[in-house]
Amino acid sequence: MNAVVLDGSRNEQGQGIVTVLTAALAQAGYATEVIALREKTIAPCKGCFGCWMHTPGECVIDDEGRQVARAVARCDLLVYFTPVTFGGVSSGLKKAVDRLIPNISPFFARVRGETHHQKRYAHCPSLIGLGTLPQPDRQAETLFKTLVEHNALNFRSPRTAAAVVALDRPDDIEAIARGLVEAVTQ
Amino acid sequence: MTEKRALLLVGSPRGIEKSTSGRLGGHLLDTLKARGFGTEQVHVHAAVRSPDALESALAAAAAADLVILSLPLYVDSFPAPVIAFLENVAERRTGAGRAGLFLLIQCGFPESEQNATALAIAERFAAEVGWRWLGGLALGGVETYGGSAHEVLEQIGKALAEGKPAPDLAAKKAMPAWLYRAGGNIMWRRMAKQNGVAGKLRARPYED
Ligand SMILES: Cc1cc2nc3c(=O)[nH]c(=O)nc-3n(C[C@H](O)[C@H](O)[C@H](O)COP(=O)(O)O)c2cc1C
Repeated sequence: MNAVVLDGSRNEQGQGIVTVLTAALAQAGYATEVIALREKTIAPCKGCFGCWMHTPGECVIDDEGRQVARAVARCDLLVYFTPVTFGGVSSGLKKAVDRLIPNISPFFARVRGETHHQKRYAHCPSLIGLGTLPQPDRQAETLFKTLVEHNALNFRSPRTAAAVVALDRPDDIEAIARGLVEAVTQ
Repeated sequence: MTEKRALLLVGSPRGIEKSTSGRLGGHLLDTLKARGFGTEQVHVHAAVRSPDALESALAAAAAADLVILSLPLYVDSFPAPVIAFLENVAERRTGAGRAGLFLLIQCGFPESEQNATALAIAERFAAEVGWRWLGGLALGGVETYGGSAHEVLEQIGKALAEGKPAPDLAAKKAMPAWLYRAGGNIMWRRMAKQNGVAGKLRARPYED
């Protein structure tokens, strides 16, 4: 099994956390590719729906956003790693996430009573959201988890889990990482 | 009395003229203009593309009494360049203690509730940067509203012009979700046919 970590952090400070997570994934049998999005040239989505209506399955913009979408389409587990930003994800992560819609079908479907999209690929990756905050913040954490859960519906992820690491509590990181991996593998 | 200033931030990559966000936001801005506001519009995607444009957009936000953020829902939150702009506002504490924020958000799915997380994120942003939260209007499957969205925007414009938070309103829908899905799927097929990709809609270019 393989996992793709989309690292949306601004600098390398979160590397320690990514390493802990990668170790937890390895223990569960995943080979992990970490993509440091800050080093990638990924233009913002143009909102043209060309990825559905002109070149189905591929974004019309030829840059590293395509490679990210390809890696995500082929993995078993997608991980968002991001500073929690106003309760949501950072712009550094979102530039890649907006470019993932080629991987789903334009056709609408009813999923859990709401409108979402049909799958493009039979196999969709599960989704983990791992956010960071300077210190514990209940409201931001709840919002972040809700967002990841909704993204999992939109990307038709079979399993999903989200958690937030408070950077002033580094001792918790290992247990949080292990908990996330268990939640999507069991 | 100095003139009150309203700034419309359009957060769709399709720009101010061509996007639904720009059109609906423009309508709200017009109602404020008619009530004596000085108005300005900024396309967020253009603002984050260059340092100069960013500075002038931040200056416009700092001078505004009322900021209307009008955008499409992208994967349950804001388009990436909008988040980037808001990160800049937060870093500089632009307009802290001065501006009020109203969110106008619309999405492709017919259920307006799908915007709920994004609304909560906007309210949280306002709290973090010290802008007054004036509420939001969430629309789903926007093509189906006809004139009712405009009527609601006029009521909202009236409240905002009086310095009040926006009333919590919903626009009336012209069609149930199942019909919207069925119609949408027909529209996609028709569009694909026009583009000469009818047989390729379910292509899987990234399959192993
Ligand atoms: C990258 C991308 C992501 C989107 N995500 C969602 C979504 O999560 N939920 C939804 O209902 N619509 C979603 N949409 C649809 C847009 O919100 C909708 O088409 C909107 O009306 C576009 O408005 P605009 O003309 O102002 O850009 C998405 C569109 C794009 C291009």
